[in-house]
Amino acid sequence: MTQASIGPVMEYLTPRPAPPARPSLIRAQRRLGSDAILKALARAAAVTIILMLASLVVVLARAAVPSIKAFGFKFLVSSEWRPNPLETPKLTSDGSPIIEDGETVMEVQPPVFGALPVMFGTAVSSALALILAVPLSVGAALFLVRISPKVLKGPISFLIEFLAAIPSIAYGIWGLFVLAPLLQSHIEPACRWAFERMGSPAALSWLFIEKISLPGGETITRDIPMAGRDMLCGGIVLAIMILPIITAISRDVLKSVPRAQIEGTVALGATWWQSSREMLRYSRSGLFGAVMLGLARAAGETMAITMVIGNNNQIRPSVFAPAQTMSSLLANEFAEASLEIHRSALTEVALILLVMSLGFNIVARYLVVGKSGGRTAAAH
Amino acid sequence: MQYALYNRMTRANSRMMYGVCVAFTAAILLLLILVTGYLISIGIGSITLDFFRKLPIPNGMEGYPGGLKNGLVGTGILIALASAIGIPVGMLAGIYLSEYSANSLLATPTRFICDVLSGVPSIVVGILGYELVVRPIGHHNGYAGAAALAFIMVPIIARTTEEMLRLVPNSYREASIALGATKARTIMKVVVPAATGSIITGVMLAVARVAGETAPLLFTALGSRLLTTNPAEPFPSLTREIFELARGPEPAQHRLAWAGILVLIALIFVLNLTVRFFSQSVRGRVAHA
Amino acid sequence: MNNLIRHVLLAVVALSAAVASADVRLQGAGATFPNPLYQRWVAEYQKAHPDVKIDYQSIGSGGGVKNISEKTVDFAGSDAPLNKKEIEAMGGPDKIVQVPSCAGGVVPAYNLPGVKQELKFTGAIIADIYMGRINKWNDPRLAQLNAGVTLPSLPITPAYRTDGSGTTFVFTNYLATQSKPFVATIGTGKQVKWPLGQGGKGNEGVAQVIEQTPGAIGYIEQNYADKNHIAYGLVQNKSGKFVKASPKTVSNAGSGAASALKGTVLAADIWNQSGPEAYPIASFTYLIVYRDLGNIKSKEQAQALTDYLWWATHDGQQFAEDLDYAPLAKAVQEKVDGALKELNYQGEPIAVQASARQSRP
Repeated sequence: MTQASIGPVMEYLTPRPAPPARPSLIRAQRRLGSDAILKALARAAAVTIILMLASLVVVLARAAVPSIKAFGFKFLVSSEWRPNPLETPKLTSDGSPIIEDGETVMEVQPPVFGALPVMFGTAVSSALALILAVPLSVGAALFLVRISPKVLKGPISFLIEFLAAIPSIAYGIWGLFVLAPLLQSHIEPACRWAFERMGSPAALSWLFIEKISLPGGETITRDIPMAGRDMLCGGIVLAIMILPIITAISRDVLKSVPRAQIEGTVALGATWWQSSREMLRYSRSGLFGAVMLGLARAAGETMAITMVIGNNNQIRPSVFAPAQTMSSLLANEFAEASLEIHRSALTEVALILLVMSLGFNIVARYLVVGKSGGRTAAAH
Repeated sequence: MQYALYNRMTRANSRMMYGVCVAFTAAILLLLILVTGYLISIGIGSITLDFFRKLPIPNGMEGYPGGLKNGLVGTGILIALASAIGIPVGMLAGIYLSEYSANSLLATPTRFICDVLSGVPSIVVGILGYELVVRPIGHHNGYAGAAALAFIMVPIIARTTEEMLRLVPNSYREASIALGATKARTIMKVVVPAATGSIITGVMLAVARVAGETAPLLFTALGSRLLTTNPAEPFPSLTREIFELARGPEPAQHRLAWAGILVLIALIFVLNLTVRFFSQSVRGRVAHA
Repeated sequence: MNNLIRHVLLAVVALSAAVASADVRLQGAGATFPNPLYQRWVAEYQKAHPDVKIDYQSIGSGGGVKNISEKTVDFAGSDAPLNKKEIEAMGGPDKIVQVPSCAGGVVPAYNLPGVKQELKFTGAIIADIYMGRINKWNDPRLAQLNAGVTLPSLPITPAYRTDGSGTTFVFTNYLATQSKPFVATIGTGKQVKWPLGQGGKGNEGVAQVIEQTPGAIGYIEQNYADKNHIAYGLVQNKSGKFVKASPKTVSNAGSGAASALKGTVLAADIWNQSGPEAYPIASFTYLIVYRDLGNIKSKEQAQALTDYLWWATHDGQQFAEDLDYAPLAKAVQEKVDGALKELNYQGEPIAVQASARQSRP
C-alpha cells in the first residue's frame, strides 16, 4: 500500500455496518470526527502559509499606494530623496531671487522621493559580492565534490554552513570594527598610492576622484576621501555572507551530475580540470540558480550592510564612496518616518525589494530544482 | 601547436586549477576563522558576570556600562512567543504537506510558497509586522516582534517537518491502519512520534535562525533599557540592543555589544552542532537574512 | 476585518497589562542630543522611586515628535521645538505642554591625528565645508584662521545625521544665519540633503564616524565629544570672539531667553546670540507631553510622569553640568513651572509633590 491508497482504504473501512455490540473507542473517535478536525487544522495551516505571502504583498502594496500615486514611474528613475520640505528662494524666470521688503521670498518645496540611488546601491553591492564570492564558492564546491577526501567532506561542509549560521549583526560588527578600519588605514591608501604611482590614469580616475555638483549649481572636483565605510566594504561583507549558500547549493548541484558523464570525459583523456569544466558546463543552470539565490540573499541583507555602507543616499560611481542600499535605507529611516508620504515611499522601496527577491528566488528555484525534476537536498 | 606541448600545458593548467580549488576552499575556511575568531576573542575579553546580571547603566554612574540582562530575557521571551505560534502552525502545515497532499490542490502551492518565503528579506517582514500589529495597537510592542519572528519560523518548520515525516516508512502507517486506527490517530500517535527527534532538530534550526535576527525587530518590538516581561510594551532583544550599543562611540558600550555577540554565537553554535549531530539530512535548509 | 483584528489585538494587550507587574511604567523617546543626561535622570529617579520604571529611547528628535503625535509614547524629547504643522497634528497649542529641560552646545568635532591645538572656526567656513567648497584641511582659509597650527593635507569628510534630528535643526539654522549660499543650497530643518560626507544615526552615530575617520568633521552635542575624547573647535560668535562650548557659555547664550517663553508651548531659539561669552551654536532641548494626560493608562502614571518632569527640571538639574549641559536659568525655570502646573488628567489638575512646589506668582 502506498500513501495514496490509504485514503481509499479508509473510505472502504469507514461505512461498515456495526459489528455486535462491543464498545469501541475507535468507532467513537470516528464519529467525533477526529480525522476531520486534524485534516481541517492541517489544511488551515497550509492556507495560513499561502495567506502569509498574500498578506505580505497586499499589505505592502496598499501602504505604498499614496507614494505610487504621488510619484508614479518617476520613483524608479529619480535620484532625489528628500523627506523634508525645503525652503528655497523663489526665483524669477531668469533665475534670480525675488526680493520683497529687503527679504528674499521663500517658497516651500514638498518632500520628494526617488529610489534610484538605493536601487543602484543594492545592485552594485550585490554585484560586487557576487564577483568576489562566486569564484570562491564554485571552487570550494568542486573541491568538496571532486578533491576532498571523504573524511574531510563532512567537517568542511559543517564549517562552511556555520558561516551561514552566524547572525548578520555579527558580520556587521566584524565589518565595522575590523574590515572598515583595515580598508581605511591600509588597503584604500595603498590603492590610491598605486593609482598615483601609475600617473593617475584617466581610465581609473573615476574610482579616486569625483565631480560633485553642489545644490547651488557649481561643480567641484575632489579626491574621494576614503573613509573605510563604503560600497567596497559592504561588498566584501556581503560576499562573505553569501559564500555558504552558493557553496552549499553548488555542491549539491555538482553532486547530482551523473557519474557516467564525468567518466566519459576521463575515458576520452580529459585532465582533471577539463572534466571538471565539463561538470560545470553540465550543471550550469543549477549553478546559475545557486548564484541567483546568493544574489537574492545579498540584496535582502540588512544589518551588516547598514553598519558598513556609509549611509549616503546618492549615486556615486566609485566603490570607495559611501552608499545606501534599499534595506539599509529602510533600517535607517522607517522607525522615524513621521510624514505619511515618507512612510509610503519607504514601503514602496520595501515592495520593490520584496518583488525583486521573490523574483530571484523563484527563478533560482526553477533553475536548481526544476531541471533535475524533483527535489534534491539543494532545494531550499 | 605541437601535441606534446599542448598536452603538457593542459596538464599544467589542470594542476593549477586543482590547486586553485584547494586554495579557494582554504580561503573560505580562513575567512571563517578570521571572522569567528575575532568575534569570539573580543567576546571572551568582554564578557563578565555582570553582563548576565545587570541592566544597562548610563555613563557616569557606578557600574557603567552594566549588562544586557534586558536583552537576554527579552530574546528568550520573544523566541518563546514566536515558537508558541510558529511551531503549531509550522508542524500542522508540515503534516498537511506530508500526509494529506496526495489528492490536494493546496499542497504544491503551499510547498512552493514555503520555499519562497524563506527568501523574503527579514526587514520586509518587519514592515509587515509594523503595519499589522504595531499600528492597530498604537505603539511598539513585543507581540509584533514575536509575530515577525514567527513569520520567519513557520516556513522553515513546515518544510523540515514535511521532510522528516516523509522519511517515516509507510509500513508504520499501514500497520496502524491495519490495526484499525483513524488517520488522525495514525499521524499523531505513530508517524509524528517516529519523527520527533528530527522534527525537533528542524525546530532548533528555526530557533537558531530567529535568535540572530535583528531587522524584523527594529520597528516592531523596538527595544527597551528596562527588564520588560510584558510583551504589550516596547520589548528589548539581545540583537537590537547590541545594534544600538555598537553604533555609538563609547568603548565600554562596544565591549557590552561584543559580549552579547559571543553569547549569540555560542547559542547558535550549540544549536547547530546538536542539529548536525542528530540529523544529517536537515542541513542546508536555512539561511539568515 | 480590520476592526476584528484590532479588537483581538487590543484584547491581547489588555490581557498582558493585567498580568503585567504593578510597577508604573513610562515610555519616552526622541532626541539623542540630551540622551546622556536623560539616561542619568532616569537612573537617578529610579533609585529614588524604585516602583517607577522609565525608559527613554534615543531615536532622534524627528522620531520623538512622530511618536508623541501618534501617542505611542508618554513623553518626547526634541531639540527642535514643535513647528506649526506638528502643533496642528497634536491638536493645537492648548493641548500641548512643551518645556525646555536643559541647554547644550553643538560643537564642530573633528578627527585630526597629530593636531594638538584647538582649531578655530567661523560659521561661514563650516558652511563651506559642508557645501564642499573647502575640501582639504590645509585650505588657506582654515590656515589663515589657525595661524601657527600645521594642518595636514587630509581631505575633509563632513559627517552628518541621517535621521530626523534636532541637532541638525539647530546646526542648519545657525549656519543659515552665517551663510546665504547655505540657505539657498542646503536649507534648514531636521533632515536636509547633505551633498557630501558620511552619515551616522543619532549623535552617537556621528560621533562614531568622526572617531573612526581621520579627516572627518561633524556636528555633535558637547557631551559626546568630551566623553569620548574627540577634539572640537572654537566657534566665532556674533561679537567676534572665538568661544568654546561649555555649560557657562551655553548659559550665556540662553540668558535672554526667558522673556521669549510664553504659554504652555515654550520655545526659544538661542543660537547666534550677542554677548561676548555666548556660545553661538547653543540650543534648548525640550520635553513634550500632552497637557491632558488622559490618554495615559492610569492616574498613577500621569502623576508619576508629572512628578518626574518636575523632578527633572528641578532636582535633576544638578546632574547637568557634569555631563556638559547647561542647567535652566531661574527665569526660565519659573516659566517651566508655570507650564507644568497646567498638566491635568482628564480635566483634573495634577498636583506635584508639595515639597518641590513653588508658590504661584
